[in-house]
Amino acid sequence: MSAFVARVRRIPSWQLTLGVALLVLGFLMTAQLRSLVPRSQYDSSDLPPLRQTAQELQAAQDQLKAQILDLRAQVEAVEQNGQGNAAQITALNDQLGDARLAAGLVALQGPGVVVSLRDSTRPVPPGAAPGDLLVSAADLRQVIDLLWLSGAEAVSVNGERIAVTTPLTDIGSSVLVNSSYLQPPYQISAIGPADLYNRLATSAAFVAYLQDRAQAVGLDVALLQSNDVQVPAYSGTVNLVHARPVATSVPGGPTTPIGSAQP
Amino acid sequence: MRTARGRWAVSAVLFLMGVLLVVQFRAQTANGGLNGLTTQDLTTLIANLNDRNAELRGEVADLQAQLRTLEATQLAGASNVGQLQSELQQLRLWAGLDPVYGDGVDVVISGPITAAASNEILNELRIAGAEAMAVDGVRVVPGTVVGGDPGGLSVENVALPTPFHLQAIGDPANLQAVLQRAGGVVSRIAVAQPDVTIEVGATTMTLPGTDRDLDAPDAKPQL
Repeated sequence: MSAFVARVRRIPSWQLTLGVALLVLGFLMTAQLRSLVPRSQYDSSDLPPLRQTAQELQAAQDQLKAQILDLRAQVEAVEQNGQGNAAQITALNDQLGDARLAAGLVALQGPGVVVSLRDSTRPVPPGAAPGDLLVSAADLRQVIDLLWLSGAEAVSVNGERIAVTTPLTDIGSSVLVNSSYLQPPYQISAIGPADLYNRLATSAAFVAYLQDRAQAVGLDVALLQSNDVQVPAYSGTVNLVHARPVATSVPGGPTTPIGSAQP
Repeated sequence: MRTARGRWAVSAVLFLMGVLLVVQFRAQTANGGLNGLTTQDLTTLIANLNDRNAELRGEVADLQAQLRTLEATQLAGASNVGQLQSELQQLRLWAGLDPVYGDGVDVVISGPITAAASNEILNELRIAGAEAMAVDGVRVVPGTVVGGDPGGLSVENVALPTPFHLQAIGDPANLQAVLQRAGGVVSRIAVAQPDVTIEVGATTMTLPGTDRDLDAPDAKPQL
């Protein structure tokens, strides 16, 4: 026994250090290789079918939206050259321009505020749900609503214009706006009057929101004032199935349902 | 000599360990995007995307038909006035500028509901496909938000009485189902705000056009 201890004592210390280091290295390499096995399936080269389907559908949606914007521009151009009573056509095009602006079909730029929201990087406190530390649709809705209340005139999130029918909803840890999947981090762009930033930053409701979500939970909420905020056009459907005009609303106009209004 | 070789060996091993640690750490934090979703979430997401893409394809077809009709009318030397009037009417209804009539739901809210909960109901109605909405007779347009403290809510500077109405035109069955589903917005508010009563009923209604100017005076069109 004492012979063994004496033998161990004769091993140079650098060999012991190296031995321990090699042991740790072995653990790390094994951990790395094991963690690579499931993750490699999520690479773009070999996605699980559901994830790949979702990505393909989102890509198809992006193409459809681009096509819609293009077609709306073409329709508008043809309408500008509309035939008929010239004064009437000019007046109608002016009114159409105003209605497109009101509906959010026009991409806008101007002074305003950009609010960016990032997930909390804090450890999940005991008793809390991990989802509480992520930016949710409710977070985006609250900030957007406070921007509107502060005087915003046009708002978008990550390139999706907030139109009158725009829903914001959670699916798991992801957020859909206009049924479009948004990749975090989230950027809310709002155009408005020169005092939009101050009105938002000093509103009691926004201060309370920051206490709730930034200070208490650790969401990263950043406000940026800018003279050139860009808000894209709404690229979704403008379609009414259940809503009809009230008979007296358009003098001389059709009073039939307009859901499939093609002359 | 022997110690020098030993140092090189230890240095090399430590370097490798550092590289592996960094790789391991990065692999664990790079988990954004769709990777965080469960199979059930992905299935829901795919259903949403499918529905939405079908709607968008319908919109593309409508716009293509509209373009063809406009061009054919011009080729035939006829007037586009009727077509422009028709489009203007549809757009003004959709944007909330003109009154609308149709089937939908009437949500009657009594008690000290919060502004956030009221706005959440509006969002749920949008999810359910509401085409036009009003808050106690004030037409909802972009930027129409319920504000204020419970008991003193207002919308566009109009004080809301109690009870007040949220009205939405759309498929009544669908609108009701989304609001009243298990774990839906009405049951969540019932738990969080027990003093608030919410009644949902199908009805036919006329909603007014907005009183607001929607001309975005501080913005200009992108070039």
